[in-house]
Amino acid sequence: MNLFRSEEHARRSASFDPDWVHMLMPVADWADIFSSPMFRERGRGDYISWLRSPEGQASTTAMRAKIPKPA
Amino acid sequence: MTDVAILDRAFSAVLARMVRTGQAPHYVELAAELGVDPETGRRIVNDLMASGIPAWTHPGTDYIASFPPFNNQPTQYRITVDGRQRWFAQCGFEALAVRWLFPGQAVRVDAPCLDCGEWLSIETRDDEILSVTPPTMVGYSRSAVGGDAASRPFR
Repeated sequence: MNLFRSEEHARRSASFDPDWVHMLMPVADWADIFSSPMFRERGRGDYISWLRSPEGQASTTAMRAKIPKPA
Repeated sequence: MTDVAILDRAFSAVLARMVRTGQAPHYVELAAELGVDPETGRRIVNDLMASGIPAWTHPGTDYIASFPPFNNQPTQYRITVDGRQRWFAQCGFEALAVRWLFPGQAVRVDAPCLDCGEWLSIETRDDEILSVTPPTMVGYSRSAVGGDAASRPFR
């Protein structure tokens, strides 16, 4: 899970696997996914309980739904 | 298995230490903070790592190696908050979530591109992306976000 200067750099890197090209996105799109409540709520004092609550589970499901899938 | 209320306190204590210092506590330090004996502290750390969060100990030890969004061992993702570089992110994606732990503060991620070695940086404050250099920056993973828990220390 790395950042690259451009799509061309990512495609040239040793870690690039064309089967996972759907996981190549502008950094702003990843920043949006990592803005989900499951990341924002980490500072709360009951985070593990919250993560296991219906609200936390729904947040996890919603975050996963935003992650791109293979075409 | 440790009671979830204790896991809540342990998660909060580890994260607060990392926000404050950039370093994770040893389980003996965590035990003192939680008011338990060292062996219980060791067990709590391991139960916390097994609780489903993307965190792990260094293989074969009880040392906290990675605790989201931070890494206790330096990575290429250097985090600077209001001019102080004290933290490292777990990965390029978690680097983008560090800002939620520093509300109202400018959080900058600096890292070398793994292809060319040239530096890239992104600066944020809360919901705002202040700058992206170069603007063509992308994120990429060849595994699912979070990935297989057993392989995390080796990726």
